[in-house]
Amino acid sequence: MKRITIDPITRLEGHGKIEIFLNDEGDVANAYFQVPELRGFEQFCVGRQAEDMPLITSRICGVCPEAHLLASAKAIDDIFDAEPPSAAKKIRELLYSAFFVTDHTTHFYALGGPDFIVGPDAPPSERNILGVIRKVGLEAGKEVINCRSRNHHVIKMLGGRGIHPVAALPGGWSKSVSETERKEIEEIARKNIDFALFSLKAFDDIVLKNPTYLELVTSDIYLHKTYYMGTVDEKNRVNFYDGMIRVVGPEGKEFIKYHPRDYATHIAERVEPWTYLKFPYLKKIGWKGLTDGPDSGVYCATPLSRLNVSDGMATPRAQEHFEKMYETFGCKKIKGRYQPLHHRLATHWARLIELLYAAERMLELSIDPEITSPDVRKIPERIKGEGIGSVEAPRGTLTHHYVTDERGVLRKVNLIVGTTNNHAPIAMSIKRAAEKMITKGTVITEGLLNRIEMAFRLYDPCFSCATHSLPGGMPLTVNIRNRGGEIIKTLSRY
Amino acid sequence: MKTVIIGLGNPVLGDDRVGIEVARLLRERLGDDENVTVKEQYAGGIRLLDELAGFERAIIVDSIVTGGKAGTVYRLGVSDLPGTRNTISTHDTNFRDALSLGEMIGLALPGFVTVFGIEAGNVETFSEDLTPEVKEAVPGAVELVLKELRDCKERQCA
Repeated sequence: MKRITIDPITRLEGHGKIEIFLNDEGDVANAYFQVPELRGFEQFCVGRQAEDMPLITSRICGVCPEAHLLASAKAIDDIFDAEPPSAAKKIRELLYSAFFVTDHTTHFYALGGPDFIVGPDAPPSERNILGVIRKVGLEAGKEVINCRSRNHHVIKMLGGRGIHPVAALPGGWSKSVSETERKEIEEIARKNIDFALFSLKAFDDIVLKNPTYLELVTSDIYLHKTYYMGTVDEKNRVNFYDGMIRVVGPEGKEFIKYHPRDYATHIAERVEPWTYLKFPYLKKIGWKGLTDGPDSGVYCATPLSRLNVSDGMATPRAQEHFEKMYETFGCKKIKGRYQPLHHRLATHWARLIELLYAAERMLELSIDPEITSPDVRKIPERIKGEGIGSVEAPRGTLTHHYVTDERGVLRKVNLIVGTTNNHAPIAMSIKRAAEKMITKGTVITEGLLNRIEMAFRLYDPCFSCATHSLPGGMPLTVNIRNRGGEIIKTLSRY
Repeated sequence: MKTVIIGLGNPVLGDDRVGIEVARLLRERLGDDENVTVKEQYAGGIRLLDELAGFERAIIVDSIVTGGKAGTVYRLGVSDLPGTRNTISTHDTNFRDALSLGEMIGLALPGFVTVFGIEAGNVETFSEDLTPEVKEAVPGAVELVLKELRDCKERQCA
């Protein structure tokens, strides 16, 4: 059996490997993916003080440190039984809204956009952020950079440090917001709203008004009728920072709504012999393999999932776009809520709607009179010994669970990171892509790599949860194997 | 010539932290030098643009995995970095694309960029310690960066 090993150029973004198994007829039987695993995080944490965890866990990743920071902050609030004052919660959510604006912007212009704005079949040398900027204009390119910079500035201002904010404390926040800072943030939030509206318009003009792209988005290439998960507020609207976890079924019926603290009652993790990736699934439904439908416990947690579980958006303009998306796909309303949208490529659209929501929410919080309150900390009085915190990371529900001794020293650490929720759906979308591009043993090489990349990108996965080092690309190897498991073809892309 | 030295890496991921360690030592060695700024940076891609803008010269120190002997230090130019245009899973662009993007929109980016890559031994286990081979390579890497700075002054970086 011939096996080609590709030396990763740098490991630090991880090295993806996809195994595609064919049947006797030469059609796709199964498709799996593997990525490098980082080890030892729990051991690294055990023995440390629980209150250090927001700083430590935010260093797991250079991409979404703010998500880890806040899930961790909420877990230590719980450990020290110290509910933060309202102003502290609002400051955290304000920081988080600024973070969502930068993160979703980056994804759309650098990662998702190239597939649509430049075109799914454009050569890889053009399908990148440079190609996107050429198409949407130089001013938009400047705005992407400015948008990132100004929101990183907000994160630094509120969190005390740029990439890894330091202000999270059990029971609140170490720093209140001055009136001067508030004014500056308000102005930035307004610019963010304009930019989000511009991005939605670009999506409308370039994607939705182009019959070829519209057909791609609405085609069944990545259509999976799974369960969906997301955090909702008291009115069942999308919220990134706080709320209850709501899961809806493929037909749109609420399956369950639970407090994040009860995650272990509802979610189990499947271990398969062929990979070290874990596959979370709904315990009450059970694991039926990499398959969709109401009888399979596979669920999805993405921007589209969050919209699917919600009755609507909490801000007016995001709500308009939310309705437009579901109407475009012809989703019917049942008991006042749209039926879920299963077309996974619509996740890119959903992400832009979330971008607008994050910008609008940022404005709401920045003009909230309470945001400049000096009351940002409740001093902890006891140690409960166990804490669970959860937020919506851009790429799915993120849960931190810590157990300590009576001194608050960590004994046990468990994290379910955003991307993990989507391991099964990603594998299913890769299989679908492979089925379209491999028939009777004939492989459309470039098309296969493109469609696999598109499958990855729509989920916005972050596999290594580690810093992105130079040069920051993930080499990909695709092995196509016959029924006997022999490799008949290897494709790679650096 | 206004120079920025950036130590890049994840401080809790074993040898991935080596760039950060080199930067810390360089900061001690260089003291207050109005022409040289030393930074630690935990994320690459477009985020680096913010750190590079406004400087005339940049030296980046980072861990790298090429399959070579752990602790080997490589001196690389931007053109030596893989020219991948692939965007499969990074949540950002690669370094070359980030630089091209910066140039495209007219950011004041350094005209001289040098990368020192230190071959890592272990970057898959969380730890605040370097492996012995990489630890041994740190003083040499510090000297290489200092030499780079000196040579640059002598040659006016022409």
